[in-house]
Amino acid sequence: MKDLTIRNLSKTYFDPYAGTNVTAVHDVSLKVEQGEFVCIVGPSGCGKTTILNMIAGFIPHTGGEILVGGRPVKGPGPDRGVVFQSFALFPWRTVLENVAFGPKMRGVRKVERERIAHEYLALAKLTEAAGRYPAELSGGMQQRVGVVRALANEPDVLLMDEPFASVDAQTRMTLQEELTRIWQEKRPTVIFITHDVQEAVFLANRVVALSKGRVLDDIAVDLPRPRSWDALNDDARFKELSGRVLQLVRSA
Amino acid sequence: MKQFLLKIWSHCVRLTARWPSIASIAPFIPVVAAWWIVTELQLFPRVFLPGPAEVVRSFGSLVYMGILPAYLQDSIVRLAVGAFWGVALGIPLGILVGLNQRARTALWPLLLFFQAIGDIAWLPILVIWFGYGLTTITVVIVYTVIFPVVLNTVLGVRSIPITLHRAAQSLGASRIRMLWEVVLPGALPNIVTGLRNGLGYGWRALIATEIIVGTSGIGFLMFDARRSGSVVEILLGMIILGILWYIVDSWILAPIERATGQRWGLVTR
Repeated sequence: MKDLTIRNLSKTYFDPYAGTNVTAVHDVSLKVEQGEFVCIVGPSGCGKTTILNMIAGFIPHTGGEILVGGRPVKGPGPDRGVVFQSFALFPWRTVLENVAFGPKMRGVRKVERERIAHEYLALAKLTEAAGRYPAELSGGMQQRVGVVRALANEPDVLLMDEPFASVDAQTRMTLQEELTRIWQEKRPTVIFITHDVQEAVFLANRVVALSKGRVLDDIAVDLPRPRSWDALNDDARFKELSGRVLQLVRSA
Repeated sequence: MKQFLLKIWSHCVRLTARWPSIASIAPFIPVVAAWWIVTELQLFPRVFLPGPAEVVRSFGSLVYMGILPAYLQDSIVRLAVGAFWGVALGIPLGILVGLNQRARTALWPLLLFFQAIGDIAWLPILVIWFGYGLTTITVVIVYTVIFPVVLNTVLGVRSIPITLHRAAQSLGASRIRMLWEVVLPGALPNIVTGLRNGLGYGWRALIATEIIVGTSGIGFLMFDARRSGSVVEILLGMIILGILWYIVDSWILAPIERATGQRWGLVTR
């Protein structure tokens, strides 16, 4: 795991229908330390997914630089694991094969990569599902697979793009608690995109509020771990922090 | 009366549950029966419309003489060779056109243009170029099979969600491995559909080609029978065409579809 540095990042693209240049991301700078969990929160259209896609290397940035462990990002690579909102599991691969995919691409032998996959499946309590196909799982289970598939490849940075936005509210809370547990165990560097302020505060060490392509503020979350919704629901500090972030995002 | 019918119905359900193959034969029973009744009533002269029994007899004698097995083999080998090349050329071409914007811009109009010319429309010029032989037949089959395979492969490749490409890339898959790990399996259900259409069209084109340029094969058998005025053999040829296609579909194509798209949840019902 390594740190991530974003300096003066911007994204401008030409809209052929409007005939003008549109700036989606405006001079964003951010430093994420190794092992830190940072949530980027903001309303839809604020440029948060664009930032993530640029860090992942899916789309090129038009200004500034992105450094992972000091090396500039040029296109997608296994040093940055991605968890997608739409899960993006390979439907033709079993759960085990999905999780073993990254190690397989690295050339890890079959016995060894299946051992790794089993280890990570156990981490997400998915041992029973190893031989099943993604279509046979519930949404919550599919996203558990999505998370451990990215982790099993041991990326320097884990990028999560609204990963829990398409599961039901109860499952989401469980997944959030599990994610904090897994994070504590493995301590990956995480950038987590969300529009849900409470989710951001619940998960993060640090919440970055974003609006109209600009960073508004950067708020440290000093809540103790392990975190659970039972404990935090009525926690005064949690409410205070959530309130502050919400105000920031709404006022902009 | 109602009780009696219900009893028969329940017998049928139990019978087909035990032997599923009966379910695929049962729909043909009324058709054959109707055919048999029409011929027995002598609505048409026997020479024009022979009955099922005569067709079966003709089948027996043609098999005995060795003509039918030899012709059948010729037709099937021709289709297999044509289908092989159609698929071997069609899938890579479809993947190229599906993945590459430039290739698509350059080739898509050409594909549509040549698809429209159709297989049989090539026969006159092919006969001049290659004569009455296997080359002409093979070219027609390949030509017929390749378009549905290419067009469906393109459709399949383009319908793969971009997140799957991205997921594979960020898990470290190289461009070459992406083909095998994402593009090919993602497009496979569509490729099978293309293959099914292609083989169906190819089968028809083969019979038509054999009628015109053939010296053997099921199409030739039927055309030869017309010359000697043997309606029995024409009917026999038609029935064999139907049965053969049924076998190809239910023994080869349907199992592939079941094993791929349906299990993966890419096809629902």
